[in-house]
Amino acid sequence: MNHDGGKFDEARRRFLRGLGMATATAAAQPAWGGETFQDAFADFFQKDYRRMSTEEINAALERIERKAKSRYEVEIDCQNTPPQPGVVYGYAINISRCKGYRDCVHACVKENNLGRDSQMQYIRVLQLDQGDFNLEHSDHYYEPETVPVEGKHYLPIQCMQCDDPPCVKACPVEATWMEPDGIVVVDYDWCIGCRYCMAACPYWARHFNWTVPEIPAEEMNTNTHYLGNRPRPRGVVEKCHFCIHRTRKGQQPACMEACPTGSRIFGNLLDPDSEIRYVLANKQVFRLKEDLGTEPKFWYFSD
Amino acid sequence: MLPRKHDLFFYPCDQCHESMEPNPDIRPLNAMHDSTLEHGRGRIWCLSCHDLENRNYLKTLLDELVDIDEAYLVCGGCHANRQKDWVFGAHGKRIANWQGDRTLYNCTHCHDPHSPAIKARAPQPAPPVRAGLELKHGIDHEKTAIWESQEEHDEQ
Repeated sequence: MNHDGGKFDEARRRFLRGLGMATATAAAQPAWGGETFQDAFADFFQKDYRRMSTEEINAALERIERKAKSRYEVEIDCQNTPPQPGVVYGYAINISRCKGYRDCVHACVKENNLGRDSQMQYIRVLQLDQGDFNLEHSDHYYEPETVPVEGKHYLPIQCMQCDDPPCVKACPVEATWMEPDGIVVVDYDWCIGCRYCMAACPYWARHFNWTVPEIPAEEMNTNTHYLGNRPRPRGVVEKCHFCIHRTRKGQQPACMEACPTGSRIFGNLLDPDSEIRYVLANKQVFRLKEDLGTEPKFWYFSD
Repeated sequence: MLPRKHDLFFYPCDQCHESMEPNPDIRPLNAMHDSTLEHGRGRIWCLSCHDLENRNYLKTLLDELVDIDEAYLVCGGCHANRQKDWVFGAHGKRIANWQGDRTLYNCTHCHDPHSPAIKARAPQPAPPVRAGLELKHGIDHEKTAIWESQEEHDEQ
């Protein structure tokens, strides 16, 4: 008996799956963790999210769940919650109250199933000298004993969900687009990993997934969305999606829920009674790099 | 709004104060309660917000009794602008949802009413640094001629 048989078998399986012609071997193999040859075949021929029929999307969701089971040994629930009519999301951050705790950053990593070793984080909290707004002077690796540091201020940045997103224009395969509720999303299965969008984004909001995310099974968030925090493959571009799996059901984004200072305000821009509209109407708000004309739906204010 | 009474160690205050003679003299406290009131910079004391007769209640500037769970009505007496922002959502923190029923933290959840400034605390860990992008702390980008020095280095 070949003691290395298992390893070799797996490598061979991966190779054959890539070619999409492993009919003979797959028939001879057991349904390994539920991931079968049919799944690999269907993955290969899966269409762009926007061109899939309901049945095709449902089949894709089930494949994602089976793949998560085999890769992470977790039963996840992958959904496809549609946008709510009459809702466009907007975000505002009170920079006079942000203390730079980074609670949002780590809540985001947990919520969005970001690899714990992949060095990727959707939110960066920039530390700047007071009165300085030159982002070139910012430091997001600050590590003082306690924050806030005297004479510094903090500016969290993440995807601004631009209303005229340059990343979408840059994508050569239309793997990224703006949903009707204003969230710019990525179809991770359609993305070819060319990273043009990362070059196009003026806010450093897009991140490239260099490795398969390593997530301990007990820390896996099982509430997932196709366009959001489902387990992603290696070699695709990801970004903040305003916690699409939560916000489309009326919940707050994870970063907002985690913020102990209440600096983060999220809501429906089309609802004149919403908190975000109160902020926009009554506070001195500004957006980052407004001169670029990307129309971010992400405001900063101070009081 | 989130109730708060059950978080209070001494509540209900009548447990002790029922059997005590009310003393309206302005003085520092020494038994049971800390005498460090960092709120108001010396312009207020206990009975500015607490009622003398009904110890379980707070009072407004107009001597109206206010339940402990509705402390925001007392805070608004001085901090009217903040209170307005809090009511409309520009200050304070909403719980759980952005849509539907609105539940808010009371002022006193986040601000200790006797020492309201938020205390500094340790931040969560910094993001890891990618290989090849190690930090160079203390570079003054306006004074250090990075490109020039790189060019010199390349020419050598």
